[in-house]
Amino acid sequence: MGIKKVGLNRNVKPQSLVEKIFFLDFMKGLKTTIKHLFRKTITVDFPYEVSTPTIRFRGVHGLRNVDGTEADDFNSWIKKLKIKPPEMGETRCIACKFCQAACPVPELFTIKAEKLNVPEDHPHHGLKVLSVFDMDLSKCMFCGLCTQACPTDCIIHTDVYDLSSYTRKSWVLNKEELSRIADDFIARRGKEKFDEKSKWRQDQQIWPDYDTPRAKAWDGWMPSYTPNYINTQKGTNNSTESQ
Amino acid sequence: MSWISLEKATALKEKFNYIDVAESNGYVSVEVPKDKLISFLQFLKEDPDYAFKMFIDLTVIDHGQKENPRFQGVIILYSPEYKERIIVKSWATEETLPTLTNLWSGAKWAEREAWDMFGIKFEGHDNLVRMFMWEGYPYHPLRKDFPIRGIEDVELPSLNEVERGDQLEGLFNYSRMHTALPTLEDLEKTQKARMPKKKSQIVLNWGPLHPGTHGTIWFLFDLDGEYVQQCDIIIGQLHRGVEKIAENIGYQQFIPYTDRMDYIASINENHAYVVAAEKLLGIHDKVPPKAKWIRTMMAELSRINSHLLWLGTYALDLGALTMFLYTFREREKIMDILEGITGARFTINYFRIGGVFADLPAGALEAIEHFLKDFPERINDYENLLTRNRIWLKRNKDVCVLTEEDVYDYGLTGAVARASGVPYDVRKIDSYDMYDEVDFDIPVGEVGDSYDRYLVRMEEMRQSAKIIQQCIEKLRNDFTPDDPYFLEPEDPKKLKLSIDGRGLKLPQGEVYASTDNPRGELGFYIYNKKAAIKPHRVRIRSGAFYNLQVFTKAIIGRPIADAITLLSTIDPVVGETDR
Repeated sequence: MGIKKVGLNRNVKPQSLVEKIFFLDFMKGLKTTIKHLFRKTITVDFPYEVSTPTIRFRGVHGLRNVDGTEADDFNSWIKKLKIKPPEMGETRCIACKFCQAACPVPELFTIKAEKLNVPEDHPHHGLKVLSVFDMDLSKCMFCGLCTQACPTDCIIHTDVYDLSSYTRKSWVLNKEELSRIADDFIARRGKEKFDEKSKWRQDQQIWPDYDTPRAKAWDGWMPSYTPNYINTQKGTNNSTESQ
Repeated sequence: MSWISLEKATALKEKFNYIDVAESNGYVSVEVPKDKLISFLQFLKEDPDYAFKMFIDLTVIDHGQKENPRFQGVIILYSPEYKERIIVKSWATEETLPTLTNLWSGAKWAEREAWDMFGIKFEGHDNLVRMFMWEGYPYHPLRKDFPIRGIEDVELPSLNEVERGDQLEGLFNYSRMHTALPTLEDLEKTQKARMPKKKSQIVLNWGPLHPGTHGTIWFLFDLDGEYVQQCDIIIGQLHRGVEKIAENIGYQQFIPYTDRMDYIASINENHAYVVAAEKLLGIHDKVPPKAKWIRTMMAELSRINSHLLWLGTYALDLGALTMFLYTFREREKIMDILEGITGARFTINYFRIGGVFADLPAGALEAIEHFLKDFPERINDYENLLTRNRIWLKRNKDVCVLTEEDVYDYGLTGAVARASGVPYDVRKIDSYDMYDEVDFDIPVGEVGDSYDRYLVRMEEMRQSAKIIQQCIEKLRNDFTPDDPYFLEPEDPKKLKLSIDGRGLKLPQGEVYASTDNPRGELGFYIYNKKAAIKPHRVRIRSGAFYNLQVFTKAIIGRPIADAITLLSTIDPVVGETDR
């Protein structure tokens, strides 16, 4: 039970007469200031220089399309919800509304699925397809709960953060726009974030290794991205396990 | 757990035969009839065997319109000698309760809040006016019959609409009807009601929109020359009804809202709520140790982050501009780390009931370690600039002294309490998460002046760095990537625990759990009538709210310039005081 007393005469000496007369306290402060005069610049010169958002960054949402990297249970989800099996390039959304259920502001989602209008002998008879998926991002908190609720890894956060607009209407994104944003993000940084089964990669980096503007704030230092944990397997550790 | 034992509470029955003792998973509460409440509390406060000297919280539960009596007062007290807490409850028959202000001055604002939110009158309170809302506001919003959307009874066309007529279809797609808004007359009435009697000549308004107030706080100073004779604070400009939201939303879904309370240290807010919910679920001990270590580490990182902002703005207010630039440099590094680990820089939402939502990314521990490597040197730089600077000493030393009695009387917590010599630290008392396994000291001041509050916070940053170092070592050596970071419930059918939190039900019962926020003790009191996906009542015990209350006392007799020093050293965040 450590208690550390702080206060004048304990860990801080009051000013002595010499210090007062010769302005030593100011000298000391100036020393720090002068030391900083010779340091490298740490500011990022936005917008001429832009630091890349980290891979986990929670920016504008996107709706992923089918691209062959779906999780194994994707087809069973489609069957369960009676959704028309999507072709390559069509949305992964199965209109399950889990995102809406997990959302702290559920009214920001408008999700609708409609039955396909096909004759009875068509293989897609009785199946549904996503018709409306609107997100009102002016109500969004970017908390990430919808992406964690999504069973098909369809709704994701991208690294887009500039959302400004002149009208409230343009904050409402429909499913085409969301798909476009996701496609763009997946093409740029999809491999960095997701593995072949669309789950988060185990070896995600804290921030991208090509992000030199960010390194400026760290005096040019970049992490070497060594694994966080010394032991890779259970049971190989030699120190005591805490419970 | 720092709670009074059932035996000790039942022993009270011998003396007071009218009390009822109840227990809900370790949290003992005592029910007292309204007319005996004051004498019972006085006994608890003054009896050496109990010594519940410290006021923690007062709130009201609305049991619903159908119940009679409908409202129940809840008082939480702490005994510094025995390190125990107790809940005292009393039914507010006829919507009144006796006032506690004669026992603890700290109850003053809490009672005003209860009146504002529930319409409970406190008999004997000297100026029972609204706390957050303005005078003339007709409703009591936390009552169960008040809708969560509010009552939209004011028409409020936008300026654009006035100018351009109805040409705004689709662009401004909001309703013209708005919930009640204060008019200028209302504000004038509010101001008069807060300070009914002027003592001297000038009433100075400071804020609500003033950079020195660190948010939207409206101060009224009754000035005699330069000296403050009387002071009152009007808060509520940022009141968003967080408690009401909590009662209308799922448990996991509420975490992002806690981010927006104390936005400077949002991780610590998440932490308090998560710990409270876990304790009500009874899973706090079962949370995977890896998640606990990560949470401890992140909470301390956030504490440093918060204290750096405090130091920067505090020095800026007192005229040392460079400080602000230096601290923001370090803050930027922490923000980078947080962004990499959690995906957000400010409103984090990383903790979950049952753990955290993701493991650390590669390079995380390395980056934190790199930050810690030169952080002590940075603190030394700050101290070189400030600690013995003669201007700094003159503006801080012996300014607005808070005594130990003030701490107990007003329920002060956090660095403000510690600077006054009270080693009150929830991390040590409650030892939630891994705080009982890390080694750190509680910095304690001597005098309780602004200078001590400054020194205490500086030392806290050093201690936090020490805790983080221990967490890094533990995480690095004892865990593997395969260790769980989120609790897998033994029986998923019984307990639907998921990272996104859909369908999570919390059992019946009540819990008061708190954590040590950078701004004081942040407690969540959750009361559940029956197992439900939404809590019946969530009360947020905000440390900043109670710490700010003492401002009105400590500033009396001081020159107006000290208001800035005092406010900075109390360090409230309006998002949390107003909730």
